[in-house]
Amino acid sequence: MNRTVVAARLHAVHALVALGIPWVVVGSSFAINLVVWAALPGDARDQGGTGGLVSLYITVAIVFLQSVTQLFPMAMGLSLSRRTFYLGTVLAAAVQSLAYGVALTVLTVVEDATGGWGLGLSFWAPGPVDVGNPALQVLVFAVPMFLAASLGVALGVVVKRWGQLGMWTLGVALLLASGLVAALLTWRGGWPAVGSFFVDTSAAALLVAGPAVLAALVVTAGFLGLRRAVP
Amino acid sequence: MTAAATLDDVTMRFRGQTAVDGITAELRTDCITGLLGRNGAGKTTLMQLLTGHRVPTSGRVRVFGVDPYEDDAALRRICFVKESQRYPDHFRVCDVLSSAALLFPGWDEDVARSLVDEFDLPRRRAVKKLSRGMTSMVGIVVGLASRAPLTFFDEPYLGLDAVARQQFYDRLIADYAEQPRTIVLSTHLIEEIGDLLEHVLLVDHGRLLLDEDADVLRGRALTVSGPAGSVAAFTAGRRVLRSEAVGGFTRAVVETDGGDHAAAATAGLSTETTSLQQLVVALSLPTAPHPGQEVPR
Repeated sequence: MNRTVVAARLHAVHALVALGIPWVVVGSSFAINLVVWAALPGDARDQGGTGGLVSLYITVAIVFLQSVTQLFPMAMGLSLSRRTFYLGTVLAAAVQSLAYGVALTVLTVVEDATGGWGLGLSFWAPGPVDVGNPALQVLVFAVPMFLAASLGVALGVVVKRWGQLGMWTLGVALLLASGLVAALLTWRGGWPAVGSFFVDTSAAALLVAGPAVLAALVVTAGFLGLRRAVP
Repeated sequence: MTAAATLDDVTMRFRGQTAVDGITAELRTDCITGLLGRNGAGKTTLMQLLTGHRVPTSGRVRVFGVDPYEDDAALRRICFVKESQRYPDHFRVCDVLSSAALLFPGWDEDVARSLVDEFDLPRRRAVKKLSRGMTSMVGIVVGLASRAPLTFFDEPYLGLDAVARQQFYDRLIADYAEQPRTIVLSTHLIEEIGDLLEHVLLVDHGRLLLDEDADVLRGRALTVSGPAGSVAAFTAGRRVLRSEAVGGFTRAVVETDGGDHAAAATAGLSTETTSLQQLVVALSLPTAPHPGQEVPR
């Protein structure tokens, strides 16, 4: 079998854990939301959505972070090259994102058809995330999922190559950078422009094109970091 | 004799420390080589260089004729079992073995199965929950069943009891006889594996002290003991690797070309052949004459 495919398969070994945990987390979130929604008075339910779905994306990112900190050392111990491991990881992330995108789209269709599980709850596709077109809907779920996975991988690479110190440095740098941007925006009175950008830009651009470009950058940076990592 | 791997003036520097210092050597094909040396001598770094886990600061590493760094074609023929190997938290013994089976073209499932039975390894238990010794066994199973043409064992026996170690040595020899391949054993337990080795590389402080056939090495040193005067007379003109004196009694390890047994006996000294371990200790101790000039290059 092609070694890249084998490397991707390593992510699915004992899959109950790697693939199951994100769904247990988001499932719990969904259950809690259902209970809360059921307890709400009828007129309050129509407000619509929650952000519970984000838990799925965060958990996927953590699973992929651990794939670098834990699976990578074993993969190299079993004589995979860094490049092949990385390609396999990206392949696993892509396949998984697409499959999750389809699953989430199915859940969205059911949610829409049942009037929000009979409770007016938009859990799986809250607000503008529900684009109404199944093919586009899959991408709206899958591309940000792939971005979450690649961010997890990239963070794992930082930990693996530069250790705790690297992660703290990155964290502080990001904090300073975002603080600087916020200060600049405030100083130049740029906030309304930012707000209208997010309102005016279509969901497709915001949830598909943007994350796709970002993911491409993150995946490239992650590979450059891994090239000299020692397992 | 062809070489499975060669090191050509290889140096590896870390911040403020030289782990490997200009080593030139080769690993002979289908031979069991012992990579010996003290803690921190550079053994693990050498193996990391030979398996593409690290890139040398300078010098050239070749495995099967190519640079092993990121070369999948070469890497798939290499298996590197190390004491510090990390496994994913949720991986069970069977998960590690099925992953290895996917990745090593020569994987022998029968060997793996019989070893798991012999070591009494719990297949469905998470590797993380295994004892130190059992974790080592997992590595040994992977190393032997991989049947990789070039297999490295870096301190593979950590936490293993004497019985399990003997099982490992027996299986290694049996498997090696069935399927000859290039094996590198890095270890402190020189006495135990001395008889297994066909070739010895001894490193100390990142430098190569010895690169010699094990048989030649076994006959290379002689330990003589007796009254200080007689020993001194005997050792004059010979290279003394190590000497200890207690009262008027001296025990010395000298280099020999084989014919010195009788000479020592006539001088009234008692002689013993020097084991590989004694020789390694004698060569590695700082009291030994500077070994830099000794290295056969």
